[in-house]
Amino acid sequence: MGTMFAQYSNNLSGNSDATYRTDPFHESISSIRKMHPELLKHKRNETLRHGVRTEENSLKECVNCHANINENTGHYIDVNKKGQFCSSCHKKVSISVDCFSCHRPTPTKGGS
Amino acid sequence: MTKALNRRDFIQNTSAILGVASVASGFTLTTFAADKGPASGGKRWGMLINTNILSEAEIDSMVSACKKEHGWGFEEHSTGSQKPSWIKKVKVQDRATKKITSLPLMCQHCEEPPCVDVCPTNASMKRLDGVVLVDRHLCIGCRFCMMACPYDARSFVHEDLSNQKEHMPRGKGTVESCTLCVHKIDNGEQPACVASVKTDAVIFGDLKDKNSIISKTLRKIQSTQIRADLNLNTGVRYSGI
Repeated sequence: MGTMFAQYSNNLSGNSDATYRTDPFHESISSIRKMHPELLKHKRNETLRHGVRTEENSLKECVNCHANINENTGHYIDVNKKGQFCSSCHKKVSISVDCFSCHRPTPTKGGS
Repeated sequence: MTKALNRRDFIQNTSAILGVASVASGFTLTTFAADKGPASGGKRWGMLINTNILSEAEIDSMVSACKKEHGWGFEEHSTGSQKPSWIKKVKVQDRATKKITSLPLMCQHCEEPPCVDVCPTNASMKRLDGVVLVDRHLCIGCRFCMMACPYDARSFVHEDLSNQKEHMPRGKGTVESCTLCVHKIDNGEQPACVASVKTDAVIFGDLKDKNSIISKTLRKIQSTQIRADLNLNTGVRYSGI
């Protein structure tokens, strides 16, 4: 388990909540990396169309855990900004992240 | 001396244990469904607005509560007619008596919503509990629904937005309208506009529940739907107009 979460501790999520998490939240790194579009798509229908508001696979929780804090300003950095959690992989494979044209890319809790 | 467990005792004890286990798991499932479960067709959310009691200041506070809750009304680059308006204050005058009435007008959450009928992508949709929403993942911004709505309840976002509310994603090129604060309803709270009015002028509740305050009040006092002639069976009802 230690090695699994050690993979999160890279420069992409240096000071995000996910780095400091000790309990496993995802089934495995490989499954969430591969399946997250399908999981999010399923969850969005569940939430919007059926009103199921659980934390599991919710985009809000992705942002809550994986957004880094800018140590100089103390504010959250957008997860889709260059070099941040979402954009680092998406840029590499040239897939645009459309989520954040509507969704908020930073957590509301304790920052702006 | 310990008694040897015979076959009959074993079956009796085991069935008793299994009985408890199945009841307990049933409880767990029931509790889960009540808290986080999907919207149910056994409910229909509605609102009753009594314009006799509701003051203009209260209507203004409803509008600003909606703006604050969902983060609309702060668009910088849209012109007057382009600006989103999820809820607005409307003044109507009786032609014969000249009596002027002010009322808050928003999505009426019709049972037969014309916006859903015309949507080419199924983005405009009605939940099982009667809340009419726009699924912006599917919305292509064609604005057919805006033309179809008899209440002019929908708005189109004309500019890039930032700093949206966590619970209310909004973006350029999609249509939006009153959501009856679904994120609050699903957590057992009242919509922001209803909560902003301190009197009984605006009542929110389940129209299918005969014992809810809204159903009891609707049975007692005169109320009407706006454009009742269209037979849309709106979830938002008015009294005093």
